[in-house]
Amino acid sequence: MKKLLFFAVFLIINACSYLDVVPDNVATLENAFTMRNTAEKFLFTCYSWLPNFASLENEKVNPAILGGDEFWGTYGVNAQTSWRIARGEQSVSGPLINYWDGGDAAPSMYKAIRDCNIFLENIGQVPDMQEAERQRWIAEVTFLKAYYHFWLIRMYGPIILSDTNLDIDAGIDEVRQSRTPIDSCVNYVVDLLDRARINLPTTITNESSELGRITQPIDLAIKAYVLTWAASPIFNGNTDYATMKNADGTLLIDQTVNNEKWLRALNASKEAIDVAHSAGIGLYDYQPGNLQAGISDTTRIQMSIRNVVAERWNKEVIWADPNSVLTQGWLTPRSWDPDKSNTNQSARYGVPFKVVDLFYTQHGVPIEEDKTWDYANRYGVKKAEYADRYNIANGYTTAVQNFDRENRFYADLGFDGGIWYGQGKYDDNKAWHLEAKNGQYTGIFSTNYNVTGYWPKKMISYENLVEASAYVSEWYPWPVIRLADLYLLYAEAANEYYGPNDESLDYLNKVRQRAGLESVQSSWSNYSSLPDKYTSKEGLRAIVHRERLIELLFEGHRFWDLRRWKEAEIELSKDVVGWSVQKGEINDYYKPVVLFKQTFNKREYLWPIKENSIIVNRNLVQNTGW
Amino acid sequence: MCLYAQETVPLVNSTLTGQVTDSLTHEPLIGATVQIEGVTHSVQTDVDGNYSFVTGQKLPYTLIVSFVGYKTRKVVANSSPLNIALASDAALDEVVIVGFGTQKRTDMVGSVTSVKPNDLKVPSSNLTTALAGRVAGVIAYQRSGEPGADNADFFIRGVTTFGYKVDPLILVDNVEVTTTDFARLQVDDIASFSIMKDATATAIYGARGANGVILVTTKEGKEGKVAISLRLENSVSQPTRDLELADPVTYMKLHNEAVLTRDPLGVLPYSDNKIDQTIAGADPYLYPQTDWQQALLKDRTVNQRANLNISGGGAVARYFVSGAINQDNGVLKVPNVSNFNNNINLKSYSLRSNVNINLSKSSELSIRLHGAFDDYNGPIDGATNVYRNIMRTNPVLFAPYYPIQENTRFVKHILFGNYGEASYLNPYADLVKGYKQYSRSNILAQLEFKQDLKVLTEGLSFRALFNTSRNAYFDVQRNYTPFYYQVNGLEENGDYALTLLNEEKGTEYLNYSEGQKTVQSVVYMETALNYNRTFAKKHTLSGLLVGILRNRLTGNAGDLQQSLPYRNLGVSGRFTYAYNSTYFAEFNFGYNGSERFYENKRFGFFPSFGLAWTVSNEPFWEPLKETVSNLRIRGTYGLVGNDDIGDATTRFFYLSNVDMNDADRSATFGTNRNYSRTGVSISRYSNPNISWERSKKANLALELGLFNKVQLTADFFQERRSDILMSRTNVPTSVGLSSTVYANIGEASNRGVDLSVDYATNITADLWLQARGNFTFAKSKYEVYEEPNYNEPWLSHIGQSLTQNWGFIAERLFIDDEEVANSPLQSFGETRGGDLKYKDVNGDGQITDLDKVPLGYPTTPEINYGFGFSLGFKKWDISAFFQGLARESFWINTAATSPFASYTYENETFPAGTLLQNQLLKAYADSHWSEDNQDLYALWPRLSPTHNANNEQTSSWFMRDGAFLRLKQVELGYTLPETTSKKAYIEKLRVYLNATNLALWSKFKLWDVEMAGNGLGYPIQRVFNIGLQATF
Repeated sequence: MKKLLFFAVFLIINACSYLDVVPDNVATLENAFTMRNTAEKFLFTCYSWLPNFASLENEKVNPAILGGDEFWGTYGVNAQTSWRIARGEQSVSGPLINYWDGGDAAPSMYKAIRDCNIFLENIGQVPDMQEAERQRWIAEVTFLKAYYHFWLIRMYGPIILSDTNLDIDAGIDEVRQSRTPIDSCVNYVVDLLDRARINLPTTITNESSELGRITQPIDLAIKAYVLTWAASPIFNGNTDYATMKNADGTLLIDQTVNNEKWLRALNASKEAIDVAHSAGIGLYDYQPGNLQAGISDTTRIQMSIRNVVAERWNKEVIWADPNSVLTQGWLTPRSWDPDKSNTNQSARYGVPFKVVDLFYTQHGVPIEEDKTWDYANRYGVKKAEYADRYNIANGYTTAVQNFDRENRFYADLGFDGGIWYGQGKYDDNKAWHLEAKNGQYTGIFSTNYNVTGYWPKKMISYENLVEASAYVSEWYPWPVIRLADLYLLYAEAANEYYGPNDESLDYLNKVRQRAGLESVQSSWSNYSSLPDKYTSKEGLRAIVHRERLIELLFEGHRFWDLRRWKEAEIELSKDVVGWSVQKGEINDYYKPVVLFKQTFNKREYLWPIKENSIIVNRNLVQNTGW
Repeated sequence: MCLYAQETVPLVNSTLTGQVTDSLTHEPLIGATVQIEGVTHSVQTDVDGNYSFVTGQKLPYTLIVSFVGYKTRKVVANSSPLNIALASDAALDEVVIVGFGTQKRTDMVGSVTSVKPNDLKVPSSNLTTALAGRVAGVIAYQRSGEPGADNADFFIRGVTTFGYKVDPLILVDNVEVTTTDFARLQVDDIASFSIMKDATATAIYGARGANGVILVTTKEGKEGKVAISLRLENSVSQPTRDLELADPVTYMKLHNEAVLTRDPLGVLPYSDNKIDQTIAGADPYLYPQTDWQQALLKDRTVNQRANLNISGGGAVARYFVSGAINQDNGVLKVPNVSNFNNNINLKSYSLRSNVNINLSKSSELSIRLHGAFDDYNGPIDGATNVYRNIMRTNPVLFAPYYPIQENTRFVKHILFGNYGEASYLNPYADLVKGYKQYSRSNILAQLEFKQDLKVLTEGLSFRALFNTSRNAYFDVQRNYTPFYYQVNGLEENGDYALTLLNEEKGTEYLNYSEGQKTVQSVVYMETALNYNRTFAKKHTLSGLLVGILRNRLTGNAGDLQQSLPYRNLGVSGRFTYAYNSTYFAEFNFGYNGSERFYENKRFGFFPSFGLAWTVSNEPFWEPLKETVSNLRIRGTYGLVGNDDIGDATTRFFYLSNVDMNDADRSATFGTNRNYSRTGVSISRYSNPNISWERSKKANLALELGLFNKVQLTADFFQERRSDILMSRTNVPTSVGLSSTVYANIGEASNRGVDLSVDYATNITADLWLQARGNFTFAKSKYEVYEEPNYNEPWLSHIGQSLTQNWGFIAERLFIDDEEVANSPLQSFGETRGGDLKYKDVNGDGQITDLDKVPLGYPTTPEINYGFGFSLGFKKWDISAFFQGLARESFWINTAATSPFASYTYENETFPAGTLLQNQLLKAYADSHWSEDNQDLYALWPRLSPTHNANNEQTSSWFMRDGAFLRLKQVELGYTLPETTSKKAYIEKLRVYLNATNLALWSKFKLWDVEMAGNGLGYPIQRVFNIGLQATF
């Protein structure tokens, strides 16, 4: 029995230490804030949650690229999550691009905000940091926290704000939070942006390692954008949401239109423009290099339009994100070179007619208003003449609607017979052109092809090359917001607040001028069937909206602007139309086909909140209609 | 009751010889005691069951023959030699291996099923495949037939947890082994096999016994002359059922239909010309019709197994040495175009040496050495993938390879077929391009010391055991990158115009890549004090106290926390008391610690107790004893734990886990994007409150023996598992937690019955019959489950089985698009006429997750049963065994079978851009909705060239009944007459033929129903086997 006792005592004494297998110094969260080096990693962690603005698939997807009607693909081959939104497949069971909970090609923005909060709570304890740098990092993360909140607000409207992190073991009542009314949400975001601005740099001085990080002009531009959203019909007295209330009766979207919100947006836009100017940001104009010397004005203007997107860090871009790089192969024609055609660039998305129709005529007015433009016969065909040579291959027969359009039409779009400058050929008299009918070198191939016959040329860097078995593409940081965007926000706010005014027209004309167009006043007076359009608030609003849609096409704005203006129910309910791209003969090819009968349900203005999130948190009310 | 007396002349003062055998199996009994009544002298039978002793008495006289586990017989000896057959009496004297010791079957209080190793003999190299239907209390089924990956799933009394580890603890010679090590165990090496089911049997394993325990001991040598036993088997194996695919022409037509029916403007994949030419059977390379199954798979394969063991010993030492070789081959075709063999070739070897040395009269040392080794050579991604890839390859785009012809006569490589950008899967090329080799070894060395301590007090003994095992695995693969060609018509000379599609990528030489490597070491120590004594002939007392210590370390763990050792520490005990072999009481406990938990949660106490009453041993029962030979009631109750609640990556729940270099959380800045930093991510929050699952188990059993022929055991059990680890689903996502929070909050229960019936009789001296059956029913239930407060009661898990599946009720197919528009919204993806129409259960006008209801039976069967008989006549024996399961539902994998779509399995990666195209099952081709034949109840909905998310929702449409009954095994054996075999110096020679999986009864016909949802994998095999067993 002694042995037994001894044995038992021996065991008990040794037990605790024997099972203590975990050594000290196992990495924990505290390790992230014990030195500057690791704290910097956490700063980058906060940045890492930024949506991939150029991403069409898989993760951190930007719903605004494929989710609207700017691009259309071949059904069956392409089922990108965001394109499924365009096809009306959004649902409450498994919301597509679910930035609330995370899922279906999106992370949860609440995780992003939680990381920002962790950073802000702990950055103070890092010992080996300069105070100025610490303040700058705090400002950057504060900006990101604001932006992540806004990202959700734009999708979901009133959201749950997350100013401080809840404990892991917080009680069940504490974690079942309610949504905050939209005006408070906006004010919260603006307040964060204001706080962040103070310690943000005006410009990045260490460009080689910091370009792309947040600056004051970015902060102000986003503030202007946020306030424009707050003033826009979607959130300003939108009666569609009259019944959307929290359990305690709090109305989530105020039911009275408050025009003063436009003034706030106007002032913010003005401040953003001023600070951007003072930081050296200005409208971009293409400066031809040695190779491009001697190009025509037409080509130069079009290159200004193309390169404001595709030239890295150009002077117009306020916020360019180097973490967001477009897969250009998906949008590039199979070939512009008849001798080299390969399928490494799968060219799976084409531009539908309703977007093609947006572009003005060469006179700077809508095609349906231009008295000189043959609108009725636009689906007919016509042979290009010498005068068209910088836009359409000389002697090539193509659709009437491809003739006599503004430079942005030719800069933004590739089409059958259309000139495609650059891509290895820099003499604009010898530029490539596309031949896109079935059987021709740009025509359909395999099951992945352009379904409409229009390619988004603007998004393709002019330096990209099609090789025998490779597609070499030049990356560019995605332009999240650029100066023209701010000009147009300003023009819009000024018109909404004051009605037609010179300021609005001035800023509109600056953007038009870069595109080689005359002023609104002269274009409409001379060519439009509605010459007084710009003199009424509604008319000018239509002009501002259209200018914005054209100027910022493909850059991820149309999707949001149509929602903001509550115009999506009209625009996104129009048929998706393209040429008969499977045909090889001219007369067969140039017949419009309806590819899809798109419909937009009113409830789609705001994202559905996942059904399961509502079941888990009964305090969370669903967006109206879902 | 059986006695063979041969006609010989009576002798006086002579030697009496003979053999003692088992009355049913006719196996010799080694070590049986033969004694003349009234004399103290006795002899024991040798390794052949023979005895011989000088009697000095005149015949006839009475012999008393006894052996553990058999009924003692009194036999009148009239002549010599005298062969005596003993009837086994399971209910009487059988010794059963229980946790850390043995108990007599008659004294058992806990619920333990012991299986005769002979019953586990199947023509397979995998022991786990023998369990289904043979053991009361075990739920087992097999989902794949791939050699080396064909382990059956098995659970003791079903599954009672929705936590991590659900399968039992397996111990071989007291040492924990993995399922694969267990699978490689040689039946010929097994001395005893016990399955411990209730609290009394498992509480001694404390925090590790909650899922039941399987305990195996290996054979030891017996004193006597050398005994050699040899078994040779050769078997032919073939799939029980092949998948039927649509023919290539139908494939093309329906693919075209699939495109058009979804998109009238879609580009048709196949031109009319191609279809017409294919129908006409035009050139096989220009218009290929590839039967990929035919190209890659053989009809059958041949496997071999050999097992040799030698045992014997003297007064000082005894030994048992055995060696086995199993050769398993796959059914893949080996092309003669390359010099390496791609078919599965799995060789498993095992070597075992058990030596017992008597150090003194009271102490014994045992040394056990065991090694099990697998050498595998086979396709790179495994054979299951070959099957899966066949299912994902277009049959009409290209041939497996093209012939060498004039224009390619200088080409050294194989001209594999492909198409377009060479990004289609060519399963033939995938198979032929290389091979993988793996090697697995498990080596074990064990030292056990036993000391009888009766010098201290009568009945006390001490035992210590030290064991170390080493486990190693590695694989390598060698392959070239195939060159792919496309046929572009004919050249002028009639040769095929071949285009090389991937000139830059292909290689003619082999590449090499290293695979996974794991090494593991386990050290286990056990010390025990045992006490066993009977006082006053009536009071039997026993006590056991065991201390254990276990340490497991993994090399190549991949992460700091995973690299830390796994440890267990514990004291366990058992105390039993029996009064007059009629009343029994038992108390067991385990006091265990595990390294996984926070300091104050590390140790737990697991007590259990049980009572039993052998009614038939009561004096008043005497008159009934002839009819009801045994009647016994026992009941137990206790607490057991399960500490294996998370996988290797989540072992330390009390610690947070942070990745300080997470590439997913990286960002990049700078003019040329040249300043990058990885980020920080939290993969687990710390929770010091996490601890093991607790299981309260109750068991009530009835044992009944009738006419000494029928043995019936019925166990009724109930279990309540609490503290099951589960994720806190109540935390809204708006809190922004980056990893799920877990807590010990789940509870589940399980109840059921396991029954076994044995019948044995000798009809005449030459004819014997044995029949047995068993039945297990286990029904689990969620008791506490954290879930939202559903307004829809059908969504709640409470009360449902742990493997219940939820899904939509599919009413039928939609009639047309108009009906879709006027029905509750189903927003999973495109929904049109001919797509599945689901029931709006909650009536909210849309089909969402809230409309999912519990469908069918659980996905693990609730009932498992088996029955069979053995019949012997003279030298012949025949046996048949049926096995079945019931109350199981499974789902056809709609995504994997969706025709023309591309499907990748979980954890599977293909090079970017690989094109996969599902084959078309014949059943789908025969029954699907089409615009011409709008069958609203067709098997497959409207075709689609891609996945249709609406139709692929889990629904009642694709639910199938998993119940089946199969003729699991049939065996015919013949034992050569001794006179014949002796001439070849063979003691005994038995030749047998057997077959497994001969017949199957089930409603489901697409594939072997036992594979359930894994129907596209490597099929379950039907085996025909010829074997030979010889003892020398």
